[in-house]
Amino acid sequence: MSVTRTLVIAGFIAAALAAVALEWVARREGSRVPRLGDVAAVIMRYEVGGLPVGRLALLGFWLWIGWHFLAR
Amino acid sequence: MERPEEAVVQRTGIWTRPYVMGVVFVPLSLLGGLLPSFSLAANLYVLLLGVGLLVAGMSSRMPRISTPEELPPGTAWWLLPVALFVVFEVATYMGGSTFHSPTLSLLADPLLDSYPSRSAAYFGWLTVFWGMVRR
Repeated sequence: MSVTRTLVIAGFIAAALAAVALEWVARREGSRVPRLGDVAAVIMRYEVGGLPVGRLALLGFWLWIGWHFLAR
Repeated sequence: MERPEEAVVQRTGIWTRPYVMGVVFVPLSLLGGLLPSFSLAANLYVLLLGVGLLVAGMSSRMPRISTPEELPPGTAWWLLPVALFVVFEVATYMGGSTFHSPTLSLLADPLLDSYPSRSAAYFGWLTVFWGMVRR
């Protein structure tokens, strides 16, 4: 395995571990870090002219993720 | 006409109970795991489930979990994993996504080849999707 491949894999694992660690911190009582679900919920409340663009964007993004990884 | 409160709770309750949708997603995931990438069936299956959940998520009739009005100051910490991921994903994508510099998609391909991991990925995708629909 090349150095660059190892570095890239380590980078993705570090990002995933950081997300897991933050979610763990967020679930502790009195935490100042919100849960990822709460962050997503606030983004999903974003509207422009009464149109729920935040909701549409996040749900559409997750639909694309499924299509990209499971169908393509 | 006013409906009895109990009837309303019962009608909306079944989908909102924990693990109910998990039970629904298990057979859907086991079926999805059978469909290979790049097949027409996989494309149609993902689009069918995804569009169904997207429509459910956009519907105002779906009961939603209560969420905070504002986020605490620690929200910025979430930029750390996001930035880390974006840096590596963009760098590898710009480099053409090769074996020596693979994007996440390229790394995930062999992992999603086997039936158990493919079914598990379907389950994770559907579960997170449902969590977003309920928010």
